Amino acid sequence: MKVVTGVVGNDIHVVANRLIDLSLQARGYDVCNLGVNTHLEEFFDAAVETGAEVLLISSLNGEAEGWSREVKLLKANYKTLDDLVMMIGGNLVVGSGNSEDIVARYKNYGFDLVCHQVDLNTGLDLLAAFLEERSQ
Amino acid sequence: MSLLQEEREIILGNEYVDDFDFAEVSEFVTNASKDLFISHHFSQKSKMLVQPRGGFPTYAQQYALYESFVDANVDVLPLTVDSNTRLNDYGTAKKMLRLSEENEMDMLNGYPLVTHGYRTTRKMITHFNKPVSLRHGTPDARLLIETAIASGIFEIEGGPITYLLPYSKNFPLDKALLYWKYVERVCADYSRLNLPINRESFGPLTATLVPPAITIVIQLLEMLLSLEEGVKSFSVSFAQQGSMNQDIVTGAVLRKLAKHYAAEIDCADAAIHLVYHQWMGAFPSNQDYAEQLINLSTVIASMVGADKIITKTREEATGIPTREANAKTVADTQYCLGILNGLPTIVDEQEEEILTLEVQAVMEAVFNDPADTLWRKVFNSIKNGTIDVPFSPHIINKNDMITIRDANKNIRIIERGNVPIPDRSYDYERAQCDLSKDTTGIVNDIIHDIGIMQ
Repeated sequence: MKVVTGVVGNDIHVVANRLIDLSLQARGYDVCNLGVNTHLEEFFDAAVETGAEVLLISSLNGEAEGWSREVKLLKANYKTLDDLVMMIGGNLVVGSGNSEDIVARYKNYGFDLVCHQVDLNTGLDLLAAFLEERSQ
Repeated sequence: MSLLQEEREIILGNEYVDDFDFAEVSEFVTNASKDLFISHHFSQKSKMLVQPRGGFPTYAQQYALYESFVDANVDVLPLTVDSNTRLNDYGTAKKMLRLSEENEMDMLNGYPLVTHGYRTTRKMITHFNKPVSLRHGTPDARLLIETAIASGIFEIEGGPITYLLPYSKNFPLDKALLYWKYVERVCADYSRLNLPINRESFGPLTATLVPPAITIVIQLLEMLLSLEEGVKSFSVSFAQQGSMNQDIVTGAVLRKLAKHYAAEIDCADAAIHLVYHQWMGAFPSNQDYAEQLINLSTVIASMVGADKIITKTREEATGIPTREANAKTVADTQYCLGILNGLPTIVDEQEEEILTLEVQAVMEAVFNDPADTLWRKVFNSIKNGTIDVPFSPHIINKNDMITIRDANKNIRIIERGNVPIPDRSYDYERAQCDLSKDTTGIVNDIIHDIGIMQ
């Protein structure tokens, strides 16, 4: 299964991105890693080009909030991405916030899976369960 | 007019530069006080030089910072440049400086040197009459370096690899190599007028599980790129790695091989110095623990025999440190150095041999690249993964090397990727580690190994 991943916005935090790449590969995914400092259009373009089934965006220190508001609008410009599984993880807000509110907000932005300050492997287990359920 | 001078006139004709007077700057450098040259202090050296980090937006703040450092008995003053200037966005730097001055609120994360200009900055530097080290992180530092030297800043940190691979995703490496060639030539030319301008490489790189072999290779290559342009004083550097023994071995091999490769290109007359960075990874948020870590770094720097140490502060985990915290580290580090007497000499011949073999193999592979000049060989070697920096965000970096810590916290290479680590060294490195774990286990170990000091 193909996954496109990367860090959204003008964010250069590379460590988690590298570890996500390694962990996805270890779980048998075919990974297209766009790296840090990636804009939304680049994510969607890569999803079209690779035919990916999953888009996994990561973010640290709240960069994602500003960018995510445009997810639905931009994604609507692409004809073939309706079935793309949208996942986001990391530290999704500036400062601290209530996790339930944050998850609800990001689901509203157009994400199927939202992992705010969730351990990497727990997040990837959630993805596996989601994909399993959807295939049934 | 030489091509270089033509290029200089274009660079200094920038709209943000206030009338650069080449003749006046040359005269200033020719007659500058010896005390401003760190190369002078290195040659007179009786102790390890202590240098903090620090840069504030306004002249008044920077001046006050220097006063605090001088009170704390500093040896070398820092001038850390803001991130807009680093990315050549002088327009934004100018606007943010005005906002900082008018609102007494810091809108910049360093001193916007180009915006202040050399006439203003020189007043401060010559007033304190201490050597100043320029800290930036700029791939295209041409204008910045001209402004720095004209201001009386006679140590320039950075390099085309060490200021690019840790900081940028897609600034072209070949451009960075050529822009730094300009910097080396300008430093070399000014060095003929008085004492040598010192160039310093930035050894910490990503400060995230970079194995000593990669650090040393990059230090040596930046040194050679600098010396071949005529620079006569150069500092190689590295940061605390997590194991005292590995730091001592790294220092010994780096020093030995720097001399060796400098002589190979007939530059044995250049002075080579060793600089040690206190821990550059994630710091503990507990400020008392942070001070313990800083103190430990100072002890290791002494064991390594560094010529200069660059300090951190107890506020490292929380952001840009205050003037007070910064000055406190300088005083503490000086005190620690003063009481560190009668240190034993430690030599680990086996580890030195393993590391030397690795560095020599990679250097040989770089030299054997078919390109015609060293900078092109370096470019090709990074592009094809002969040199691979763990956790670099740059698209040109191969990212195939994997490193973890062994039981003694030494950084070990468990996947060499395309880096020509000789089999004997590779087998030795892997034999120190528990390789029975699956990738999930190794990823968890890496997360733990990065946060080792927290």
